[in-house]
Amino acid sequence: MKDIITQIFEIENKIKPEDFAPFKRNFQRIYHELEEEGYIIVNPKDQPYDERDASIEANILNENGSNLRISKVLKPTIYKNEGGNRVLIQKAVVIVE
Amino acid sequence: MENINFGIDLGTTNSGIGKFQAGKVNIYKNPVGFRDTLPSVIAYRNARILVGDKARELTSVQPENVFSSFKRKMGSEHTFHVPATQENKTAIDFSALVLKELINFVGDEKPSAAVITIPASFDTIQSNATKSAGYNAGLQEVLLLQEPIAACLAYANTQNISIDESKNWLVYDFGGGTFDVALVSINNRELKVIDHEGNNFLGGLDIDNLILEHLFCPVLEKELGTENLWKQMVSAEKGIYSKLFFELLYRAEEAKKELSIKESVFVELELDLASKFIEFEITRQQFNELIHPKVDETVKLTKRLLEKNNISNQQVERIILVGGTTYIPYVKEYLHQEFESTVDSSIDPTTAIIVGASYYAGTKNKQNLSTQVAEIKEDLPAKLQDVKLVYEVNSQDNEELLTGFVPNEFSGYYRVTRTDGGFDTGLISFHSKFNEFLKLVPKTSNFFNVKIFDKHQILVFEKENLSINHGIYNISGQPLPNDICLEVDDTLGTTYLERVFRKNDILPLSKKLYKTISKTILKNSGEKLIINIVEGKAETSPASNLCIGYLEINSEDLSANLLKGTDIEIDFDISESRDLTVNIYIGAINLEISQVFNASAKQVSITKLRLELEKSLTNIDYEIEEFSNNHQEDIADRLNDVRIEIIELLKALIDIEDDLVTDKIYNIDERKRKAFQVYDDLVRRKNVIAEIEEYQAYKMEIKEDLLLKPNPKIEHVFNNIIKNEAQFLNSNQTSIIKSKTKELQKISQEIYYQHDEAYVNLFYQYAYKDISEYSNESIAKKHILNGERAVKEVKYAELKAIISALYHLLKVKPRDYFEDKNGTLGLK
Repeated sequence: MKDIITQIFEIENKIKPEDFAPFKRNFQRIYHELEEEGYIIVNPKDQPYDERDASIEANILNENGSNLRISKVLKPTIYKNEGGNRVLIQKAVVIVE
Repeated sequence: MENINFGIDLGTTNSGIGKFQAGKVNIYKNPVGFRDTLPSVIAYRNARILVGDKARELTSVQPENVFSSFKRKMGSEHTFHVPATQENKTAIDFSALVLKELINFVGDEKPSAAVITIPASFDTIQSNATKSAGYNAGLQEVLLLQEPIAACLAYANTQNISIDESKNWLVYDFGGGTFDVALVSINNRELKVIDHEGNNFLGGLDIDNLILEHLFCPVLEKELGTENLWKQMVSAEKGIYSKLFFELLYRAEEAKKELSIKESVFVELELDLASKFIEFEITRQQFNELIHPKVDETVKLTKRLLEKNNISNQQVERIILVGGTTYIPYVKEYLHQEFESTVDSSIDPTTAIIVGASYYAGTKNKQNLSTQVAEIKEDLPAKLQDVKLVYEVNSQDNEELLTGFVPNEFSGYYRVTRTDGGFDTGLISFHSKFNEFLKLVPKTSNFFNVKIFDKHQILVFEKENLSINHGIYNISGQPLPNDICLEVDDTLGTTYLERVFRKNDILPLSKKLYKTISKTILKNSGEKLIINIVEGKAETSPASNLCIGYLEINSEDLSANLLKGTDIEIDFDISESRDLTVNIYIGAINLEISQVFNASAKQVSITKLRLELEKSLTNIDYEIEEFSNNHQEDIADRLNDVRIEIIELLKALIDIEDDLVTDKIYNIDERKRKAFQVYDDLVRRKNVIAEIEEYQAYKMEIKEDLLLKPNPKIEHVFNNIIKNEAQFLNSNQTSIIKSKTKELQKISQEIYYQHDEAYVNLFYQYAYKDISEYSNESIAKKHILNGERAVKEVKYAELKAIISALYHLLKVKPRDYFEDKNGTLGLK
């Protein structure tokens, strides 16, 4: 399932912001259905880099290491609720600069 | 005597831990990130000690504080200087940190002894250094095992291969960063590494780089109109292509994995610089040609190993594969081609060493631990008392502050992890008090584990499942006094309430519901779709609640026919001043309606009122009769009063038909709700209990049937129906329980018709019908005669065909009891 979610995420990101309006409801619905199935999908784009955040796998560009932010997300973070417990099933793959 | 049972692969690039239990090996997953293995990397950052994935990711930012591949320096005099803490560390210190982290993977029963694997090349000093790392990590007993032997044990045990005969195996270990090959002789259950070869700088990462350089770069150079792209990306000076490098490396790794399964892959790259996507194909053939030199290098090393030891290819009984790079099919093919031996890849090559070490640990007794434990017990630090943890239980922020106070001038470390594996502070030193902002997953509950360690990193305090809710409770707003519900159709022709917002939810609120249309509404047919939103109690009948939003969508207003099964999207928003906004969107006919309902203006529809009153009369007559039959005259009398009130209300409705001025309608609505509330109190509970009993009876019947005649398909459907049983049986909604009972009845019927004899019964139902019900009487008679013969001769296949023929001859087909009824509102 996580591969399907990643594909949906990729499709969503391929649509240019100015062309996005007609697809918005479809994506909302898809994410709603996924949530009903227990999947929580987090897009960490633009978040400051946090070395404590184990839900992301970062490739860090800026070598002086100050004001690091997530500039690109190749895969989103996916959690799954199973029997009342939330479990990380996919780490986000991100570029930090 | 107790066995050691725990096996640890302390690898150069990755490590892992497993346990031998009841004949099998269980590999422990990292509670942070849930992977089987832990990168053997240590990093120091902002006073934290990080181990594993997060440490590795800091390599490019502050390489001076990140330490990896320290295993190569095991047993040497070499010290590593850590600028962040101004300390000097040895490979033993770092290995102990990795081992401690691995021990953390294990739940409550922490190991006191373990088998740790070492490379075949380790000498006595290096081996002893590994043991020291184990003791420093808190193990009281450490047994060493050579990695190739561990791999052989893993393969032999998982496949039950006999190791009594004398034979030679090659252990081919091609990992992420290193390559090792070992020749192992097996003789009468004794496994011995005869010799080994290797290259410390050859692994999967080299292959990813090759893909990038030789398959991606030429395509990209054309697209970007540049040359020497590879050099520009990897040059020390950071240019515009440096960012691209990481993304491409990720795509290369993905392509490599996919090519292990498929013959060709399409690689898609987003070029931010040219703002476009490009796509190209890579075939396995191209990939194989590309990696051939690297694989050939490993084969040459393997051949050299065999030559050195005067072993011919034929004398190698089996080559077993270890390390992630051996997932590549070409590696397997090429080895088979060059050595003509069995190439065994039957177990997961990334965890083979852990599995082997654990099998070995499962056969070894713990030694003399009792005395050692006694000694150590005296030294064990006392558990910390009076630790105070201060935090907000509810938060609207993305991070919430946790402050910990430890009395008596305590110095040590703390570590906080989120139980979902998405957050880990690493080890942080502190004195008396610590502050940590905990990262929260939005709109849900977050659970954290807090651990405090003493100066020697021994656990002295643990608080599990500290809970912080994000965004679930808005602290400042007003609570809802009642449930807010949407009236929806069930499949039985009646309606029930679906709760949109719960009593005591805090305003403002918003929610999106996805529903379906429950009856076809043809354009201009006069039918309508009704959206009725009420305030009251979700578990009561819709008519006994206060309507706060009522909307009719008439067939005249539709741009096209609205078909049963179409999706409808409804957004509900309630403001702090309790204004209700409803947005309706039906994508199929492109209909979008937005309506604001003000709390002060009540919504009453005469048509709906009449419908509700009329419908209730039939039910109430039935209930009165039933209570009378059961000698509960007092209830029957009270229901009769309700009946009289309903009739009076219907009369009153006729009187006010054209009255648009006075507020009599509100008075009628109020009286109606009161009457229904009385009806609900008297009848509803009884009906819910009866419904639950019927449900349970069907459930038991099916369970028994499945026990006698198991059927996995039916069992699967059955389990799906009863999955959320506690929820729907407590819903107090007869409709919901009834629809579940109906599903069970359907299964029950399916089970019944599994027995051929059931068709005899069905046949006679058709045979005893009036012959005039069939469109062709003479043919029907003939079928019936044939059917009777088939019953006598026990020819059930023929009987089934006859039943089917009779069905088709029927002028009016019998109704399918299980077919969903059309809704009255049009919404389900």
